[in-house]
Amino acid sequence: MASQSSSLRRPVAFRGVGRSILLTLPIALWSLLMFTPSFQRSGLDLRIASAVTIVFMTTLFFLMMRTGETYRWRRIFFVAVGFLFPFGFIASLIAERGSMSIPVSRMVSGDTPFCFMVTPSLILPAAFARTIIFPGSILPTASNPRSIAAMIGIWFAMTLVLGKAWCSYACFFGGIEEGFASFAKRPRLHKLVVRYSHILRLVPWAILVFVVLVSAAIFEPVYCMWLCPFKAVTEFPAVRNVETAIQMGIFVALFVGLVVVLPYLTKKRTQCGFFCPFGAFQSIFNKINLFEIRFNREKCVDCTLCQTSCPTVALSKESIAEGKTLLNCMKCGACVDVCKKDAAVWHLKGTPVAVKPERARLLFLYGAWAMATMFGGSILANSVATMMHWLPWK
Amino acid sequence: MAVLSLSASAGEALVLGLATGPVCLATCGPVVVPWMMVQPRGVRSHSRQLGLFLAARLAGYMVFAAAVWLVGSSIQRAWTGRTWLMGGIELLLAAALVVYAVGWPHRRCAAANSAHAPASERHGAADGLVRIGEPPRSLRSGALALGFLTGINLCPPFLVAGVRAAQLEHLSAALLFFVAFFAGTAVWFLPFLSMGFVQRTPAVVTVARMVAVLLACWYGFSGVSILIGRTMYG
Repeated sequence: MASQSSSLRRPVAFRGVGRSILLTLPIALWSLLMFTPSFQRSGLDLRIASAVTIVFMTTLFFLMMRTGETYRWRRIFFVAVGFLFPFGFIASLIAERGSMSIPVSRMVSGDTPFCFMVTPSLILPAAFARTIIFPGSILPTASNPRSIAAMIGIWFAMTLVLGKAWCSYACFFGGIEEGFASFAKRPRLHKLVVRYSHILRLVPWAILVFVVLVSAAIFEPVYCMWLCPFKAVTEFPAVRNVETAIQMGIFVALFVGLVVVLPYLTKKRTQCGFFCPFGAFQSIFNKINLFEIRFNREKCVDCTLCQTSCPTVALSKESIAEGKTLLNCMKCGACVDVCKKDAAVWHLKGTPVAVKPERARLLFLYGAWAMATMFGGSILANSVATMMHWLPWK
Repeated sequence: MAVLSLSASAGEALVLGLATGPVCLATCGPVVVPWMMVQPRGVRSHSRQLGLFLAARLAGYMVFAAAVWLVGSSIQRAWTGRTWLMGGIELLLAAALVVYAVGWPHRRCAAANSAHAPASERHGAADGLVRIGEPPRSLRSGALALGFLTGINLCPPFLVAGVRAAQLEHLSAALLFFVAFFAGTAVWFLPFLSMGFVQRTPAVVTVARMVAVLLACWYGFSGVSILIGRTMYG
């Protein structure tokens, strides 16, 4: 089987340089707007890092316009964010509190940084008991400006427009496993994934129902307390007894298994596709947002290249036969880029399929890349600034 | 006078049940939701299952009411047996969830796996999780077992009701107190009937069974933690 990266290549000159620059201008302006505060208030490190980030994000978008490819350039950004986020986050934790572990006093005072992964678990306790079961502040405070209300509001607005594209353009966890998946030259467990994909892709839904129900029963964010693989590379409750040691063991095992080893062996985003309950929750919004990937059945030759290339197993033979993706499609663009017959196309709901698909792609990418710049861009800038701070000559 | 006292305590129990119902809903929800999701679509079948579940839950309440009345006011003291009881019930609940989620190997499975069975059935039986159309007896026993075990599971409002019932003069008064308490909490279970409208596909049933297995792990871990005298949170 051909490797995924080589099969994704298309002719370079999809669009002329001038036209590509024109189409990139809105994103360049948006990037400048996003990082203007950094230039006005911050130190030299962050100014340089912000400038580098603006160039990086704008160049990648230009390449998307120029080559007509989405997946390859998005992946460079996404993997960079995934690997730099823990670096910058851990550095800030150690600078602030001297440890990655969360002291109980910080949890009691509600100073824990809010993570969007907990969002589904908040709904039932908030509805029945008007209680937020996360040790954060609902409104911004001096010590924690990223309030729960603001984060959920921004996430909800983005999700309504872009659906599950959040998981491919904004989630700062998914890039880590996408990185490990891209390190392997070819998948070693491909047959196993194909054989059990119909079961594996249901696991996130089961975990979603489980964490929502149990979180409501015990008034604790069960996913954060017991199941989050990314606790291993962000922050975690201080290990001071058997229970917290078990928690830490689970976090490390899930991270090594689902984020490092299995992505390398399968070339799939195994945590995102086969575990993440937030991803399942996001899938619901794929039903109501404007953008989707469709298949032109007149052009499709059922070669299954798209199915093989999908990093989260969001395609099945049945769904391709119906001309659609499954509900868990993250709109990463891998299937569109790999299709040699141009049968896989971007689509704006309410318009005819395969008529002006590039227009649908452009509309989607403007929204998705603006979101990527807002979330991932700020992460990149902060992490690069942290790295510069540690340069030996400084 | 005695009748007046009885009706007053029943009224108190009803109000207590209505007031603490959301907590009961949250406590029993993890068991009820996956169980209802594996039932065939339709309000009638869901009403039957919920009725069985609640009837078994009432039976659990009656057993508990009789027990606390016999034990009397000692329920209020630090009773070491309570730890064993709570841990044991959670382990039984875990076992019941596993049994009804995965199911015992039986002849239907073997038949479905045979070469003569339709491909769709072979596929469902082979993964060990998707089996639609359980024998009715198994469905009844599942609702009854899970209802009874959640009925005697010591959730906070249940303990409050237990303490109050233990103070009553007669066993009949304690039983009546728990009947009224049950009626108050049962109202909160009616929204579960809406799950009858959710479409049943093999995927929904598979997810429900996976949830049941995850919950079994959770209750099992919780039960062991209680038995060895540790809290689950540091």
